[in-house]
Amino acid sequence: MLALASAHEISVFLAGVERRAFKQAMFAVRDEHGALDIVQDAMLKLTEKYAGKPAAELPMLFQRILQNTIHDHFRRQKVRSTWTTLLSALGKGDEKEDDFDPLETLPAKSDSNSNSDPAQQLEQRQIIATIEHALERLPARQREAFLLRYWEEFDVAETAAAMGCSEGSVKTHCSRAVHALAATLTAKGILP
Amino acid sequence: MTTRDEDFAKKITTYLDHGTADLKAGTAYRLQLARAEALARLADADRVAEFRVAGAHAGSGSVTAGGSRRFWASGRVWIGIALIGAAVFGYQQWQAYQLQNDIEEMDAAILSSDLPIDAYLDRGFQNWLKHASFE
Repeated sequence: MLALASAHEISVFLAGVERRAFKQAMFAVRDEHGALDIVQDAMLKLTEKYAGKPAAELPMLFQRILQNTIHDHFRRQKVRSTWTTLLSALGKGDEKEDDFDPLETLPAKSDSNSNSDPAQQLEQRQIIATIEHALERLPARQREAFLLRYWEEFDVAETAAAMGCSEGSVKTHCSRAVHALAATLTAKGILP
Repeated sequence: MTTRDEDFAKKITTYLDHGTADLKAGTAYRLQLARAEALARLADADRVAEFRVAGAHAGSGSVTAGGSRRFWASGRVWIGIALIGAAVFGYQQWQAYQLQNDIEEMDAAILSSDLPIDAYLDRGFQNWLKHASFE
């Protein structure tokens, strides 16, 4: 019998997973506000509906919720774009520029063992940006499988359950993702 | 998947971990806020659960918390439906009133005129009127 997750365990779990969840959403939707909304929705769904589950089930549950929320985002976006097209004659100019806050571009302080050498930091950021860009360009299912299997460290069965597909499909998606990433990064002169 | 592929994947995820550490301050803050809100809901959900359990123990019997039932039981939904209904009814009444007004104005205009309405439709009468005004 597994013990139910306490509020503290849920809090620690969310704190540990929120940044990776945000990045996953970013790779999928490529929009910061959209990604933040997705992570917030996923967190709310987890705490509202699945808080009574054992702590060991939280990673899998959260990943399922996150992936479903990303899919919902795309569905809503499709509907919204249809209406936007219909009402484009009434549309005004893009007002997103007004929301820019230069302070938000500053990196957050973290306790990571980052290098103190600015040149190395810059090089690392460039590599990270290239890798993230390559991940964004992967087909959605390949990216999903790669991130769940290697970043979230799910095993093949857990990844298959989270993605709602067979274990064989997970292996295929992962293999293709790795080869596609290797090809892209090699072409850009990066060999991690 | 070969070991080489797995090693490569591990290296990639190490870089991704560094990427999450370098999130913008504003983004990290918003994630914190989102987490805080989710945890606040968790506390609310606990209170609701306690309330329900207490209600069940008090003998209320049917504690069925189906999502759809909660949706229809929400006061906001019924207020919204009532407002929409009132707006539709009001619009229909206004349209009927406008139509009535138009008819009355037209009737008044016709009745106050000296000429019969057929005269305005008679082209010959209009030609005579033009010539008569020149003379």
